[in-house]
Amino acid sequence: MPTISIGADGIDAKKLEEEILQAVAEKRKNGAYDDAAVARAERSNLMTMQDDENFVERYLACLRQLIVVDIDDFEIIEHRARFAPLLKALKKSIWKLLKFYTFRLWSQQNQTNNVLLAGIEGINRRHNREIERLQARIEALEKQLAAGK
Amino acid sequence: MKIAFLSPRLHEPGTVGGAETLLYSLAQDAVRLGHSVDFLCTCARNHFTWENELPEGVFARDGMTVRRFPVDARDPGTFLRLQMALSRGATLSPADQAAWIRNSVNSTPLIAHLRTAGYDRVIAGPYLFGLVREAALAVPEQMLLVPCFHDEPFAKVPAMQEAFLAVRGFLFNTEPERRLAHRLMPSLSPKTEAVVAMGLEPFEVSKTALAAAKGWDFPYVIYSGRREGLKGTPILVDYMDAFRKRTGRDVHLVMTGSGEVEIPPGLKSAFHDLGFVSEQEKREAMAGAVAFVHPSVNESLSIVLLEAWLARTPALVHAKGEVLRWQCESSNGGLWFADYPQFEEELLLYLDHPEITRVLAEQGRRYTVARYAPDAVRQRLAEALQR
Repeated sequence: MPTISIGADGIDAKKLEEEILQAVAEKRKNGAYDDAAVARAERSNLMTMQDDENFVERYLACLRQLIVVDIDDFEIIEHRARFAPLLKALKKSIWKLLKFYTFRLWSQQNQTNNVLLAGIEGINRRHNREIERLQARIEALEKQLAAGK
Repeated sequence: MKIAFLSPRLHEPGTVGGAETLLYSLAQDAVRLGHSVDFLCTCARNHFTWENELPEGVFARDGMTVRRFPVDARDPGTFLRLQMALSRGATLSPADQAAWIRNSVNSTPLIAHLRTAGYDRVIAGPYLFGLVREAALAVPEQMLLVPCFHDEPFAKVPAMQEAFLAVRGFLFNTEPERRLAHRLMPSLSPKTEAVVAMGLEPFEVSKTALAAAKGWDFPYVIYSGRREGLKGTPILVDYMDAFRKRTGRDVHLVMTGSGEVEIPPGLKSAFHDLGFVSEQEKREAMAGAVAFVHPSVNESLSIVLLEAWLARTPALVHAKGEVLRWQCESSNGGLWFADYPQFEEELLLYLDHPEITRVLAEQGRRYTVARYAPDAVRQRLAEALQR
């Protein structure tokens, strides 16, 4: 949490914002936001991040948290008070019937998602390596140029 | 002067929209300045269907003559297909641009009236309607556009820019909107160009009235207005769900206004949809909130943000919303977030430091009272009308 001071002129929002950004950067470094809940929360915000410098890293972090379709059993509930036990039992029976098929379907989807993620990560790593190589080469050429060679 | 104001819908309970509110407020200012004012609108109320729900005709309201005209027949399927293509960054052919405009919202009888009524000035907005474009091209020498520009693909469509470049002038809402207009059209050089915005009467409201009436004993954040992807409401919903899960804080989310919103199971018990409420109820709801959260990146002026400041509630806005951020920076009345971690940190700050929220809110209120005082706005409008 930043150290907040209320001056004679009140609060400078821009200054406060800078302190918050520093606090967030520190926490981010310590892994405080490596969390599936954060990844899920960012899915609606990805569109606005497209021009950010670290967009690809954030995008991949979201993707890693989101690619696995949850195929586990879930709690079956019934909000309507009337016939609640009956409706609940009906829903459970339907789920039992469907489970086998949905399991097959989603496990295949999970395999596909994993392959796609591995592909995107591979392409990203390759591009990063290539960029680093080209940057190093530009630097070397600039040095040569400066030395008048 | 004989002045016509034009917006696709008439501001009234049941139609919510900042642009409609703005146009109506400016029309009221023109009445107070002693002008003869007609308000031109369509018979539609619903901004999704644009069906002619209200009867056409002429009636007096608030010192003005309101003239309601039917919306032309349209093909929403074609409109949505082309609108989505534009949203994805596609370039439309001239024929498709024409089809997109033709199938948005138009009213041939309204344009026919405009051509023959002999208005000295026509003030119309927002830009994103075929009706407003046709009006601009019908009476360009009289037209002052209230464009409500956003940095979005629709404003870059050549058929739209043709109208922007033809008109007499612009009444902008904020300085960033004016800058955006010149970025979009470097050759823009209208006769009149003014930042006018909208006047707001300061008010006092209880911070505890809503909670007392509802029996609420939890802190909440609030959003007021249309709920849809373009307004960023899915971001707010997802962020609040994550915030509650990660921090364990029982902070609720309150919304007023219209539109569907998909609430995740974990947030359902902490979500309160008040729907359409009276001005007084909206103000009370704002006043009781820890923060007014505006997650939109597409605004030309946020009136609800100004109202929240008048209700002494600080803001939390999306950093990519240039205008919202500018409003917060200029007023020191709120903070901005670009991603979830910033949102979490800032909301925690508001919750744990009431003295900070109080000072930010007071700064926002002082700024709103000074900059958006009805007299100051009226003066800016009077000057723009004379140019």
